[in-house]
Amino acid sequence: MAPSKLIPLAEAVRRFTWDGMQYASGAALPIGSDAVAFGRELLRQGRRDLHAVFHCNSQQLNLLAAVGAVTRAECGFSGLEVFGFANGLRRAVESGRLALDDYSNLAMPLRLLGGALNWPFVPATVNVGSDIQDRSAFAPGEHPARAKIPTVTDPFTGRPVGVFSPLKPDIAAIHVTLADPQGNAIMLGTEWSRYELSRAAKRVVLIADAIVDTACMRQFPNLVRIPDIVVEAVVHWPFAAWPQSSPGMYDVDEEHMRLMNKALATEEGTAQYRRDFVDSYDDLDGYLALIGAERRAALAATQTAFLLDPYRRWILPAEDVAALQAAGETA
Amino acid sequence: MTQPCTRQEMMAIATGREIRDGELAIFGVGLSMLAGFFAQAHHAPGVRSMTEGGVYGATPVGGLPWGIECNRISANATSFTSALDALGCLVASGRCDVGIIGAAQVDRFGNVNTTGIWDGPIGETYRPPKTRLAGAGGANDIACGAKRTVIMAAHERKRFAERVDYISSPGYLEGGDARSRHGFVGGGPSAIVTTLGILRPDPETKEFLLDGWYAFSGVEEIRANTGWDLKVAPGAGPIPEPTESELAALRRVDETGALRKG
Repeated sequence: MAPSKLIPLAEAVRRFTWDGMQYASGAALPIGSDAVAFGRELLRQGRRDLHAVFHCNSQQLNLLAAVGAVTRAECGFSGLEVFGFANGLRRAVESGRLALDDYSNLAMPLRLLGGALNWPFVPATVNVGSDIQDRSAFAPGEHPARAKIPTVTDPFTGRPVGVFSPLKPDIAAIHVTLADPQGNAIMLGTEWSRYELSRAAKRVVLIADAIVDTACMRQFPNLVRIPDIVVEAVVHWPFAAWPQSSPGMYDVDEEHMRLMNKALATEEGTAQYRRDFVDSYDDLDGYLALIGAERRAALAATQTAFLLDPYRRWILPAEDVAALQAAGETA
Repeated sequence: MTQPCTRQEMMAIATGREIRDGELAIFGVGLSMLAGFFAQAHHAPGVRSMTEGGVYGATPVGGLPWGIECNRISANATSFTSALDALGCLVASGRCDVGIIGAAQVDRFGNVNTTGIWDGPIGETYRPPKTRLAGAGGANDIACGAKRTVIMAAHERKRFAERVDYISSPGYLEGGDARSRHGFVGGGPSAIVTTLGILRPDPETKEFLLDGWYAFSGVEEIRANTGWDLKVAPGAGPIPEPTESELAALRRVDETGALRKG
């Protein structure tokens, strides 16, 4: 059997991240499957000067930006959907300490696909003709921006066409519903752009709500959109997307979404949030206790719980995961 | 007694009336999703709806979804795919009939700003905005690719600007045939539906003209709340009030009353 890639969250951040790197996550939508817990650990280990590649903002980028750990970001969407504007990101952009380059929600997966396929550029049928093309926070003195979405000639028709630059982030922390210890993964709900990101990034770390036996993958191989061959490491972290939702697993925590975004609106609130919800736990048990047993039970009583039914029999018990993780740590 | 129809509800009903049965439609998050699913619940049962998240065949349960991937819209989907599939294969391809998008600012040619407020021209240097907003999201892709788009916006003078500070999603740009320069497969905005009435583009100039008002609004109020010299289209007139069945259908979809708060 292939060796387990399960390692603790803190070890994954130590091993695969560094200051100044191009960090991708959030290949999920703003209130859904994102490796928010990975972002908390980045802050616990003091990572800074990050270049964030987030297809969409999420509470993870909102938090990283609020704390000042991100200096550059590229996004297709930078809000929190019905929860409103992302106050931490918004503050960082308005103050000028974070340069945010805007794209759209199709542009970002196209750029990731370009990176995944090693294309030199990707034709742009969207974003052209708007200020997304003309304005670049990475070259604020150029108007129109020259290197963001330049125009080339379509060799077949002779007509001008915009082109996107491909993305190849240094690392992607990807939240998935289920992973086996080798890194085969099943995502319930929309995959958004996690497929493209898993191929575009130089290294991929999976953060899984639950670990399943590989027999589960052999039962549903068509659904394994991220195979182990592109994965460096697997982290088991239940409620990894909290306060966001994970279809089949748990609902969005409306109260904490609001509390968190309100806190991130000010420096003081951000410092308090960091003390209470980032630096306050020692391990997974402490993190889960922070959410609280009652709240976890309420969030897990989701109307989407039936989506998980076909896979439940393969979910590994906590002690088996711990044993595999101990083996992975020393590997 | 039934609670009277709010302005937001009237806007949602008027937007929903723009959706025709059988169309392939894409709904954004929030109010546009309510308007779209109202249409499906009322007069367009055969609408093929999707969200840009690649959630197909779903109807919200338990009220307004918090996002287009929310469990409230993931509980009865028939297919989950991806952004590349929904916004790319189904919208950028030119297949999508109609999309509904929102706007923080919209101008006389239907250009939409959802990126930031600079309080006037940005200038040559791309300086930080006074107020950063949510960015383009999928609206730019819908504005470029859908056969037609319907823009929903609260009708306030500061939102209805002569020129938007930043074009996040293209309408008719500088008007006329300006869109053709960029080869967009989509046709552009067919209506701006607001809390006060409906604006539609002049067929030639593509300038938006007042096409209709509600029972509770009128030409003067609408012009006073528009930041450009809004002209009244020939044939403009009052918009039919919501029927009992329309209001009942909307309120079934808007179970949590998101549109009744404003």
